[in-house]
Amino acid sequence: MKKRFLALLFVAATGLLMAPVSANTGNSEQNADALPAARLLAADGAAEARLIEIYRLTGAGRTREALAKAAHLVRDYPNFQLAQLVYGDLLAAHARPVRSFGDVPESLAPGATATLSELRFESQMRLKALRERPPAGAIPSQFLALSSRNKHAIAVDASRSRLYLFENTAQGLILVADYYISVGKSGIEKAAEGDLRTPLGVYFIVSNLDPKSLSDFYGTGALPINYPNVLDSKRGKTGRGIWLHGTPPNQFSRAPQATDGCVVLANPDLDRIIRTVEVRTTPVVISPRLEWVPPHSARAQSKRFEDALTAWRNAKSSGNIDHLLRFYTPDFNSFGKTLTEWVPDLRNEVDRVRGRPIQLKDLSYLRWTDAADTMVVTFGEVADGSLTGPTKRQYWVRQGSEWKIFFEGII
Amino acid sequence: MKHDCTPLFRLVRLFALAAALSLAVAHADEYSDVSQMLRVGKLAEAQARVDRYLAAKPRDPQMRFMKGVIQRDTGRLADAIITFTRLTEDYPELPEPYNNLAVIHASLGQNEKARAALEMAIRTNPSYATAHENLGDVYAKLASQAYNKALQMDSTNAAAQPKLVLIRELFNPAVAGQRAAPAPSPTVQAAVTPPAKPPAPMPPAPAAAKPTVTATAQPAPASSATPAAAPKATATLQAAPADGPAREVEAAVRAWAKAWADKNMGGYLGAYGQDFAPPGQLSRSAWEQERRLRITGKSRISVNLLNLSVTINGNRAVAKFRQDYKADSLAVLSRKTLELVKTGNRWMIVKETSGT
Repeated sequence: MKKRFLALLFVAATGLLMAPVSANTGNSEQNADALPAARLLAADGAAEARLIEIYRLTGAGRTREALAKAAHLVRDYPNFQLAQLVYGDLLAAHARPVRSFGDVPESLAPGATATLSELRFESQMRLKALRERPPAGAIPSQFLALSSRNKHAIAVDASRSRLYLFENTAQGLILVADYYISVGKSGIEKAAEGDLRTPLGVYFIVSNLDPKSLSDFYGTGALPINYPNVLDSKRGKTGRGIWLHGTPPNQFSRAPQATDGCVVLANPDLDRIIRTVEVRTTPVVISPRLEWVPPHSARAQSKRFEDALTAWRNAKSSGNIDHLLRFYTPDFNSFGKTLTEWVPDLRNEVDRVRGRPIQLKDLSYLRWTDAADTMVVTFGEVADGSLTGPTKRQYWVRQGSEWKIFFEGII
Repeated sequence: MKHDCTPLFRLVRLFALAAALSLAVAHADEYSDVSQMLRVGKLAEAQARVDRYLAAKPRDPQMRFMKGVIQRDTGRLADAIITFTRLTEDYPELPEPYNNLAVIHASLGQNEKARAALEMAIRTNPSYATAHENLGDVYAKLASQAYNKALQMDSTNAAAQPKLVLIRELFNPAVAGQRAAPAPSPTVQAAVTPPAKPPAPMPPAPAAAKPTVTATAQPAPASSATPAAAPKATATLQAAPADGPAREVEAAVRAWAKAWADKNMGGYLGAYGQDFAPPGQLSRSAWEQERRLRITGKSRISVNLLNLSVTINGNRAVAKFRQDYKADSLAVLSRKTLELVKTGNRWMIVKETSGT
């Protein structure tokens, strides 16, 4: 079993090196400056793959080879603390029996117990994610429908300290890479400014920050996400500045719970993501624990919602405002406007359509279920006969067996 | 049986043994034949050859070693353990039997016994033991540096730079035997290499472990079989203050053995004092004649002294050792006791007995 996931890992790791890099059409100017050569050499996922190989050799009693590989790993990644710990153990084993992972002598131990347990925690989480692989072909249950505009998607599993990167192909969503990540010091489910938690929900990457404008604490770049999203705001959640970002120069990776709420990756892994994903169209699902399902079973469960969406579309096409309004919740809010305040905007849109059927182009919807069952929907609203239309986002909530809209707006 | 662990005696014994092994010119063909048979897998033939040889010369260490190898290769592990264990008792200075005991123990899952045996193998050469300990210290230091980086501790906390142990003389029988021997001074004595202390429990050092069995002879000097004159500079570790007389006695004993091997009748017979009591009621002249016949009648003699220990009591001394005597087709290993008396400025043998 172990061999299989390791094989998968190695295939994945080498596959990453071969995979064509998708054009990041969003803010390509920011990425046009050539990455320093040293960064290009550090392939994403490589350091972890080498660490796991050292574990495997050690477990197989091939400690001479493990030691040699560990020496090379720390030479290439001197700030990969976990690798240094493993290297220390393999060296120490030549002088004395090593009784536990990270068998640091007492002379070093006093100030280091916290760091030591963090490193052990990091090791456990890395192994956990590599042991508990998603079933082949399965996808996170949140990704019900993605459009061709969503070339990539990201899902974060806090329970496994893992980020999964998907490519959306003609055959559907394919897992192309996954990486160890760190979340907030206080864990997950951000609710307030300064609570040191990583938010949970469906988000989108909203920009790609130039690393030159950032402190090197953030590593080689940053991809802010739209926390608080509409659902968060509706629930009164506060705080901001949740990014995917990298690590400082003196740390290759951080403890599983280490950040102020951001999702932190090792710089080579972040670089791969930045090179790959497009701003605005890449969803980022952050879940306490991902549920992996076969692609079509997820879709099958969303039939009731699809019917509601179709009905809404038809209502809008029909131009019947009263009928249309039944799809909206009383506490509807669009960028600060209540339903009553927003109805005139709705009327304008309906008038412009003038009874022509409306198509929902590039439709995507992601389901987020916690205390409430919600749907985050995105589409281009194009009336027949028009070439283009506004890009709209809607947030729907299930009330009993009915789906209703509590946010709609042009994004 | 007392094992004397001083470098001097170990040196002499090792040199003697190596010389004995190398000087078995008449039997070199036998050894290489058996080696060849083992190499091509003809275990039964090799076994037969070895058994035949050992029937005539049961104490031959090299053949006994090969017997152990064959026993192990044919799965007779218990017998192999006995063979190698006996070799370690008779020749505790050889690392190879210890190594092979470790190999067998490890194959039986007896890792602690394997570790102990390999540590003994290392200790057969005090230089290896020192290097091995030093290596452990260096590993410990490297480990602490790595741990510091792992924990991002500032390195003032780290283990101190280890002070490794310097080896002050070469442990090589050929080199040590030919080296000019400067007179020892008190400071030289104080700077003596500390005895190889048992290393802290550690996993078997990969460098020292030889999983493959070598049936070749221990590297032996090509020089003559006889032990060289005792290098006087080799400081002993005995706390006994009267080093001088003990050294003289050793020198006398070695000179006697050398004369014997060289068939130097003048030197040999001259080592026995006037008060020497020949064995079996022989008169002195009859005994001398018999010795002359026995010694000059051989084409080749080798006499090696193992575990030489000397006790002094005024002007009397007792030298005890194992005598590995080979002459032509004869090989006898026996315990020997020589009683010597200082006459003038020479120590002369007055009694010679063989024990079992």
